[in-house]
Amino acid sequence: MNHVYDWMLGTWVNKVVLGYPWSWPTLESLHFLGLCVLMGALLVMDLRLIGFQRTIPLKAVHSLMPWAIAAFAINLLTGLGFFFGDPYNYAGNWSFWTKMSFIVLAGVNFLIYFFAVEPKLLRLGPTDPTPGIAKVVGALSLTFWFLVLAFGRLLPYLGTGGG
Amino acid sequence: MGFLTWLEASGLAEWVRMSTEGYPTVITLHAIGMAIMVGLCVIVDLRLLGKFDGVPYAALQKLLPIAWIGFLINTLSGTGLFVAQATMFATDLMFLAKIALVFAGAATAGILQPQLAHADTWPGGKPPASVRRVAFLGIVFWLCAIVTGRLTAYIMIFI
Repeated sequence: MNHVYDWMLGTWVNKVVLGYPWSWPTLESLHFLGLCVLMGALLVMDLRLIGFQRTIPLKAVHSLMPWAIAAFAINLLTGLGFFFGDPYNYAGNWSFWTKMSFIVLAGVNFLIYFFAVEPKLLRLGPTDPTPGIAKVVGALSLTFWFLVLAFGRLLPYLGTGGG
Repeated sequence: MGFLTWLEASGLAEWVRMSTEGYPTVITLHAIGMAIMVGLCVIVDLRLLGKFDGVPYAALQKLLPIAWIGFLINTLSGTGLFVAQATMFATDLMFLAKIALVFAGAATAGILQPQLAHADTWPGGKPPASVRRVAFLGIVFWLCAIVTGRLTAYIMIFI
């Protein structure tokens, strides 16, 4: 992978991220704003899946999805900015890879929601109780995303490879 | 200054500052509490400004108690972070601005919560302009709180 990291170090992204004192704090602020919107939208959607807040029609819950996806996109882009800025530091950090693993798990969980849960929900009345699989998927989603947040925040303190 | 120095010498402050697990634990709790409080408040604010219009106002009222749990987590973890470097934070304008913005943001949630209780009496089923203004201010305060909060790690403005 080292040739990929070396290539990153030579890109204009790296120059922008490291070249100005404002770049890194700006990326961080955007990353934090993104995570707040993402987690807020997920809390509303997943709690409804789990069975709380049944007064929210399932269709209305769905209208939060574009906001969650947009917030994730902001964090993917700003996150790539951090990685391009300091690839070897992140690549050698097990907390970073743990965070990435939980993002992948959250992604798989989302695919299960999209293909196996949502079609079921669309056949339900707007304020019906949700089936068991929806509750499991909702609970796993919150668990995975809060672990993503925790391992992301712990990244500078845990598992910095070479020490 | 005596009180701040005393805070900084407390057991909690020493644990946060000196122990291996202290600072990472409170800083992570602080991020989790932020996500819950700011995330849910922003969703409530956006709803009042006309987004996700299928979500009933009564449901928003039930989201705010969850948001306050996030606020509680951050009051406690934030106290830990503050006492660890009390004399520095107390004189840092960037930090003081952040705290003012956090309390301003929390105040907007506190103002909106009782308003949501009689959402069914809103003319035309839409929040009145006064409520929408508070929701808009809420988003502005939280946005500025996050930016100034992040900047406390970079820029200190001592008074």
